[in-house]
Amino acid sequence: MSHDAIVIGGGTNGLVAAHLLARAGKRVALIEQRADPFLAGEPGWIPPQLAAELGLPGLLWGRHADPWIAVALEGGGRLELFGDMAKSVEAIRRLSPADAAKWPEFCARMRVLAGVLEQLYVQPAPDVETRQLAELLRLGRLGLRVRRLGRQAMIDLLRILPMSVAELLDEWFEHDALKAAVGAAGVMHLRQGPRSGGTAFVMLHHHVGSPAGVFRPPLSNLGSLLKAASGVELHLGVAVERITVVRGAATGVTLADGRTLTAPLVVSSADPRRTLLGLLEPGWLEPEFARAVGNIKCRGVVAQVTWAVERAGAFDGLAVAPSLTALERAYDDVKYGRVSAEPWLETRWADGRLVAHVQYVPHTPADGAWDDPRRHALGDLVERRLLAHYPELRGVLKERDVETPRDLEARYGWTGGHAYHGELTLDQILFMRPIPGWSRYRTPVRGLYLCGSGAHPGGAIAGGAGRLAARQILEDAGR
Amino acid sequence: MATTWDAIVIGGGHNGLINAAYLARAGRRVLVLERRERVGGAAVTEEIFPGFKFSMFSYVVSLLRPEIIRDLDLPGHGLHILPLESTLTPMLNGDHLATWADHDQSRRELYRHSPRDAEAYDEYGRLMHHMAQAVKPILGMVPPDPTSLRPRDLMGMLRVGKHFRGLGGEQFHAMFKLMTMSSADFLDEWFETDVLKATKSASGIIGTFLGPRSPGTAYVLLHHYMGELDGVFRAWGFAKGGTGSVSEAIAAAARRLGAEVRTGAGVTRLIVQGGRATGVVLESGEEIRARTVVSSLDPRRTFLQLVEAKELPDEFVRDIGRFKFRGSSGKVNLALGALPDFTCMPGAGPHLRGAMSISPSMEYVERAYDDAKYGEFSRQPYMDIVIPSLIDPGMAPPGKHVMSIFVQYAPWNLNGGWTDAKREAFGDAVIDAIERFAPNIRSCILHWQVLTPADIERITGLSEGNIFQGELALHQLFFLRPAPGYARFRTPVRRYYQCGSGTHPGGGIMGASGRLAAMAVLEDGA
Repeated sequence: MSHDAIVIGGGTNGLVAAHLLARAGKRVALIEQRADPFLAGEPGWIPPQLAAELGLPGLLWGRHADPWIAVALEGGGRLELFGDMAKSVEAIRRLSPADAAKWPEFCARMRVLAGVLEQLYVQPAPDVETRQLAELLRLGRLGLRVRRLGRQAMIDLLRILPMSVAELLDEWFEHDALKAAVGAAGVMHLRQGPRSGGTAFVMLHHHVGSPAGVFRPPLSNLGSLLKAASGVELHLGVAVERITVVRGAATGVTLADGRTLTAPLVVSSADPRRTLLGLLEPGWLEPEFARAVGNIKCRGVVAQVTWAVERAGAFDGLAVAPSLTALERAYDDVKYGRVSAEPWLETRWADGRLVAHVQYVPHTPADGAWDDPRRHALGDLVERRLLAHYPELRGVLKERDVETPRDLEARYGWTGGHAYHGELTLDQILFMRPIPGWSRYRTPVRGLYLCGSGAHPGGAIAGGAGRLAARQILEDAGR
Repeated sequence: MATTWDAIVIGGGHNGLINAAYLARAGRRVLVLERRERVGGAAVTEEIFPGFKFSMFSYVVSLLRPEIIRDLDLPGHGLHILPLESTLTPMLNGDHLATWADHDQSRRELYRHSPRDAEAYDEYGRLMHHMAQAVKPILGMVPPDPTSLRPRDLMGMLRVGKHFRGLGGEQFHAMFKLMTMSSADFLDEWFETDVLKATKSASGIIGTFLGPRSPGTAYVLLHHYMGELDGVFRAWGFAKGGTGSVSEAIAAAARRLGAEVRTGAGVTRLIVQGGRATGVVLESGEEIRARTVVSSLDPRRTFLQLVEAKELPDEFVRDIGRFKFRGSSGKVNLALGALPDFTCMPGAGPHLRGAMSISPSMEYVERAYDDAKYGEFSRQPYMDIVIPSLIDPGMAPPGKHVMSIFVQYAPWNLNGGWTDAKREAFGDAVIDAIERFAPNIRSCILHWQVLTPADIERITGLSEGNIFQGELALHQLFFLRPAPGYARFRTPVRRYYQCGSGTHPGGGIMGASGRLAAMAVLEDGA
């Protein structure tokens, strides 16, 4: 049986690409190695155009818990920040009147910059090397848009993007917990500490799609909606073994169970390293290209601990991140291959379970591989730390599952255990993502496209890459 | 009656002197005012102990722009550069990594560590050479203001854009990576030998408050590749007679061109009348008038200390206030009775005539940074060591030697502040760290001088002891150096200019700031 397109991977981006291609009249098969891959409430901003493009108007939502974060304070108590600006200001005032006074302006300035990123994320990455008139005009329009924001915003943009989030926040605020609450967004899924350059950008990246004053990606229902939608043939619980290529063009895939599916289009939402170096027969890529793909940094530093819970409660957005210095020290550990002695923790509620984001955890510990006793010790550390700061969780947390970056790699196929398929460092975004010169979802193999978060605009943008990849594919097909 | 000068240059460091020389060359009557009794700023030679002469702070030369050397005929005024040819990195396991002036010899040595790296080394060198060539025009350019719509700024932005687009895909991407990556990540893409990466990455941390794994250090790596001596790229050397002779040569050139240089003349205040600079007040209370005043001091001193806040826009004062200095390096100068004996390469071989880099592994350098990050000096610091007296015997009495040790990290903002005891402990940590590789070092020492960032600040005036007059971080470069809207060497005060390395393109005895600022002054019709 043959198809028009085969999509590898049933995460949000794979589903979005598959459904957009299906809506354009293509017969699409989607292959997902997991039998039940999706968690409800995946973090990520949904580009606003997607609802209409997918024919799901009014059904999609992206939202935050309110308060979106609660940071345990060192001396007891907590700082809660809300979607409502006045409530946040009031909460901050109890800790620092000076910070409370600056909060609204800070939020407004950051909101403008996140707005610029949103513009960049709903279209293909700017091709700064282009000689084509249409692309030059598009660049010109982007430039004009930025100019229209005014001098302050332009200077902010140039100055802040390469900065460290710690420097940025130190310029504005004095209270440690407030700075940590915002600053943690700057190191999320990054093997850097808050004092590293480029982390201010990462903070803004995670601000995209959220209202002023909310510095975490919204949670969306995009993945679960699409999973249930019709129009795409789903093959669940079976892995892709190989992408087949004949004379430089993709012809389909071979599955782990021996079956083959043929199609002139293969669209992979697996990460670029896995797609191009793992699923492709070696030899189809120029050594230079293969080397660049091999150099994509995707060093996972996040473990996930999931608990079944006794009863529901307001357990969303509970954070243990006392200060930027604490985050920096947590990072120091992972530089030398150790689990942070005092990791950054943040909970979210998903599918009736409590999930903790645990950072920093090495993919490969310096002193030996992950095994059950180590996993168990990590789970204990996280649980102890969480309970120490949030006693209301006592007796609530039941069976626990610990996923180290190594486990995440094994279960979801993410190279290095990196959820974003590639770190969001300044050298790996926009026209540098996934590798320089190949930001348009194409690969050197004809008919093989990338549509995962390893491509522009990267992780935490729900369906962003899938959408742009589908558009590129349809545009190329129309030529 | 008080004479009125065409221009006063505050500060007699290399940039101030170069600025004065160019102004004098254009026929202006120029007066340079230097607070200390000697010119040079951080580029001075001092006889700290009888018979032992030291390049007290800055100790190697490479980045000085060749057009300046030509324009001012510095060789004719006594500048003579002696090449520094090799680098030796002792390793913790007793092995070493060495690079030599002889390319084949270096290649064989690298091959011993990794055949793959020996292959990659040449290609890497070519890339960095191209990258440095690509950045050079930018260094010689007055930064345009991207927020301005004036034709000249728009044209400037267009020129920058065209320049980078002209590089072509591959080089453009490499440039982008260099601007944004950490030196560790950048080098990881090329090499596998840890000690090679550690030694190379060290030039990416010099003068910064960053570790080799911090993004932004790849640019500093490139910055140090821009050196050119007698047309040979990436060559470093000593000035004969110490770094002070670079300053002396520039001062001599400036004097020959008609400039007057006054030492022992610290400036305390800029005189501003009706928003216009008209002169300066000296520590002695003396007032000197001039139609133009140029400051080669760092941005904090230039604006926040010499000028009253009311003369400057609030936004500008805030921008300068948050300009980052964060001095991170110290210096230990040793008078030696005998030569050190390195375990990895015993005896007094040619390796001692080059640089010795204490950067045995990436982790070693990164850990040195970790200490500083939390306000301590590195217990095991990164060091760049040279023994100038082996190449320039006049620097020490016969049979004796001077050793210059550049040390990182030593935070200016040390926990509890710098005291005599802390300075002593810092010096000890430095000697202890060398002792691991050259066990006889202690017995060779006749005298020592330990300079912390606080000492550097006190003696030279460099704020927070930062050797570049402000960190070379991406958000402090080009049109953001030292503040948005004021990267063109002009200031909010009319007829007041800045020419220190706190302006574009930054430090390292490059001199470009001094020269470009002189152009700006002349363009405005001084």
